[in-house]
Amino acid sequence: MNAHYFFPPADAYPLNRTLFRLKSEPAYRRRFMADRDAAMTEAGLAADVRAALVTFDRDRLVALGAHPYLVFMADLRLAMERAPAAFEEF
Amino acid sequence: MPVVAAVACPHTPQLLMRPETEDRDLVLRVHGAYARVKRMLSEARPDAICLIGGDHIEGFFLNAVPAFAVAVGRSVSGHFGPYDYTFPVHEPLARAIVEQGIEREFDLLYTQDVPLDYAFYVPLHFAMPEPAVPIVPLYVNVYLPPQPTPRRCHAWGRALRAILDARAERVVLMASGGMSHYPGTDRYASPDFEWDRAMLATLTEGRGAETARLTGEELDKAGNVELRTWITLLGAVGDVKAEVLCYEPSWHHGNAMVTWPVHGAARVSLGPPAAEVDAKLRSR
Repeated sequence: MNAHYFFPPADAYPLNRTLFRLKSEPAYRRRFMADRDAAMTEAGLAADVRAALVTFDRDRLVALGAHPYLVFMADLRLAMERAPAAFEEF
Repeated sequence: MPVVAAVACPHTPQLLMRPETEDRDLVLRVHGAYARVKRMLSEARPDAICLIGGDHIEGFFLNAVPAFAVAVGRSVSGHFGPYDYTFPVHEPLARAIVEQGIEREFDLLYTQDVPLDYAFYVPLHFAMPEPAVPIVPLYVNVYLPPQPTPRRCHAWGRALRAILDARAERVVLMASGGMSHYPGTDRYASPDFEWDRAMLATLTEGRGAETARLTGEELDKAGNVELRTWITLLGAVGDVKAEVLCYEPSWHHGNAMVTWPVHGAARVSLGPPAAEVDAKLRSR
């Protein structure tokens, strides 16, 4: 069986580290939103990873070894940052 | 009676910050169940909440992946959108859990500096009793394979109960997680509600110990990797019948809230090696 949550491959560490920072480090998230290329250069990402992050294509990112949950929450945090009014707060 | 209440809660961030895609009435019904839990916990007059949470790769990233961990700092903080949370940690209780957990051969990681994950602060946002009490964050690895086996989670829960039984504090045990959901995967929109309902039936019949026989593969397949937090709690409460406070299936998540009676419950039987350690501790 292919697990939904699989062992993160070591060569995907820079990608997973970037997704983690997008999820958990507001300063990096804002840098990424202001100047994506500079933020990805800072993270030392390979060309195919950079291309997948530009479109934020979930299937492509996971195929490159991204942890699915990190893709999900990095995406949600970016959406919250871009359009906070789209969320009802309790 | 050191454990004064036991409850399992969901923690999806959509309950805190609702996007348009989330059914508002459903969210409010889950809030209603949280309000019942808050009343129940307030009436229990606890000194602390031991909160068993499945970390969402927030406290622990790939630099260190503990199976089980305890936060033993002065306080813990977490941030989500406009929300900033800081909770004091019940340091003596947290330290006792680490020390006696190690003594009982659970090789726990402890930390005095860890970001708090929403698995912890979402339930506390809605259900922190009044007056508020300090917490002990107990981490279980649920998202980074290889995760601890259900059998090991259950055993850790049994040991945890034995540790708490020897303490003077009145403790709420809370598990945060579940039920079926698959965030970030191609099954996100198809949770396994049937599996959830069968599990809830098992728990209401008082057959919680059966969860120790589940496999990690089954939990992953059912979208229930986070059930490890419930299984840990089940080790602590024993085979008492659960009461389901709510089960609200959304388009992506089975939101379940469950409580277990602890007053007058049968003492949890301690299998080896916990029983041997118990005897050793008593003989000191």
